[in-house]
Amino acid sequence: MVLKRLAALLLLVAASMALLSYAGQRWRPEAPDSIVLHGEGSSFLYPQVQAWSEEVRSTYPWLVVNYNPTGSGAGQSAFIKRVVDFAGSDPPLTGEAWERLRGKVVQLPVVIGMVAVVYNVPGVDGLRLNAEVLALIYRGEIEYWDDDAIARLNPTANLPHERIIVVHRSDSSGTTQVFTLYLHKAAPSLWPQELVGKSPDWPVDYTGRGIGGKGNQGVTELVKRNPYSIGYVEYAYAVKEGLSIALLENREGEYVAPSPEAAQEAARNALGSLPDSPDGDWSRGFDSVIYAPGRGSYPLTTWSFLLFYKEYPGPEAEAVRAFIGWINTEGQKRVVEGYVPIPEELRSLNLKAVEMIGVAGG
Amino acid sequence: MPDWRRVKDRLFTAATVALALLAVAPLFHILATVVVRGGSVILRGGVSFFTDPPAYPGSGELGGVGPALLGTLWLGLVTSLIGVPLALLTAIYIVEYREGRLARVARVFTSSLLEVPTVLIGMLVFLVVVVPMGRYSLAAGSIALAIVMLPYTVSYVERALEGVPRTYREAGYSIGMTRAQVVFQVVMGIASRGVAAGILIGVAKVLSETAPLLFTIGSARGSYPTGPQSLLEPGDALPLLIFQFAQTPYSNWQDLAWGAALLLTLIILAIFTLLRLLFREVKL
Repeated sequence: MVLKRLAALLLLVAASMALLSYAGQRWRPEAPDSIVLHGEGSSFLYPQVQAWSEEVRSTYPWLVVNYNPTGSGAGQSAFIKRVVDFAGSDPPLTGEAWERLRGKVVQLPVVIGMVAVVYNVPGVDGLRLNAEVLALIYRGEIEYWDDDAIARLNPTANLPHERIIVVHRSDSSGTTQVFTLYLHKAAPSLWPQELVGKSPDWPVDYTGRGIGGKGNQGVTELVKRNPYSIGYVEYAYAVKEGLSIALLENREGEYVAPSPEAAQEAARNALGSLPDSPDGDWSRGFDSVIYAPGRGSYPLTTWSFLLFYKEYPGPEAEAVRAFIGWINTEGQKRVVEGYVPIPEELRSLNLKAVEMIGVAGG
Repeated sequence: MPDWRRVKDRLFTAATVALALLAVAPLFHILATVVVRGGSVILRGGVSFFTDPPAYPGSGELGGVGPALLGTLWLGLVTSLIGVPLALLTAIYIVEYREGRLARVARVFTSSLLEVPTVLIGMLVFLVVVVPMGRYSLAAGSIALAIVMLPYTVSYVERALEGVPRTYREAGYSIGMTRAQVVFQVVMGIASRGVAAGILIGVAKVLSETAPLLFTIGSARGSYPTGPQSLLEPGDALPLLIFQFAQTPYSNWQDLAWGAALLLTLIILAIFTLLRLLFREVKL
């Protein structure tokens, strides 16, 4: 009796599934000889890779790309275990990991990202900040918005005598890593190496004025909801939510707002400290894009990498070649809002990888 | 002179009702938000919400959750196929064959499985299934979900079986039934509602799980699982899509997450309605 009813239930599920499969195939017929590539990693890269996986089909209808956004660390370890065909990662492989995979992998910076310093001070636009002032704010040593240090950078702004609410990420985050690394590079005496990381021990928390938000979404919400707060988020969140964005001092002493041009300028100026081949060791020098030299470059710029193997068992090799080629040509014209395409010089560097990929044993 | 005892009684009742309302208020708030926000998305998307893949992030288009919906249904089916026999037989063993020492061990182990964080179960399946297979798959996800389901279903079925009075078993033996016949033809028949409840609650529970899927199914949003052969391929599921899309800054993806949340709620609701319709109480 019970079994009969359960069987009826299962039948129902099976019937609805048959219906859906039919619908799915009618709506989107799949090429019979399609090749599927599976990737995993950085959640920052996820919307971009997902968008590329849709767009690439207009050039290569047989190419299906899937991507599992579990985080850079998880992506790298799944890639090393060869559970996935490629990985997405905000930092490249560490020197040690690269040494073990030497000659077997290529790493390509495929897209540029920016971190924006956002604030919520009614009546203040175009706030200018530098690393020293930001470091002091996140150390809790600057308490009020009309502090001399801030006023000196913004002589015309009408700064209120209000306590600063300092927002940071509560979860472990690559965005935090980028932000603290910038503070350390630009103001090493105020922001020591110990405070650089994915979830540092924020000194401002001990003053009671520091609050943590989970994810970019959490920080965005906190800054929006609390007047007189300051925080840092991925550029896309700042733009989408219409937050006020601060201008930051770069290495040349200019105050620069985040923009695609300013980020590309930073990337171009970081090229000198990068390896000259996709299969080189990217672990050193990849962060030169943060607080890069050069006029007009935005200091809180970062990039994300795709990691591929050089050898694939079969038709995947062809698919990977097509995908890399497409990303660095067509794909750069189809960059999702909030990301920045890589400059020409990096594209031609990445395209060298196409020739390096082949069929295992072939 | 007022009757103080009656007044106190009324006050107490009022306080109880007020506190009970307070306790369920967040639930209704969540449900209402999901229905309002998700409902408008599904209405806007129409049929394509159920069939299409997600649209380009940040574009004005919506797309749909077709692959995720299909993936969730496959997961439900395969998880039941793995989990239900396992849970049923475990519960029968624990209750009907309780004299065995192993039965006690089984009981302790299944109930302590409840305490294991589900993300750990996902990692375990990653190590023992995904890595040897060399890829993520819906099958691996189903195995993880079946493990998550096990303790819930076992404990419900256990209770249902224990509720069957001893006399019915004795009646079965008295007409010469074997032990297995008594279990499957007498006890299960009487306990059918409880058993079905256990199974469906288990399935409903795992259909809305995200953590066991993070490292097992691989969030493949581009392809549809169109048949049993797709079970060995990566796939997608509604709770995973909700979790991952809600964290992006793109409003069309956040909308999809809201729509998927309503869809998932409706699926779970449908399961419980089915439970009420299909299995009536057996009067003793």
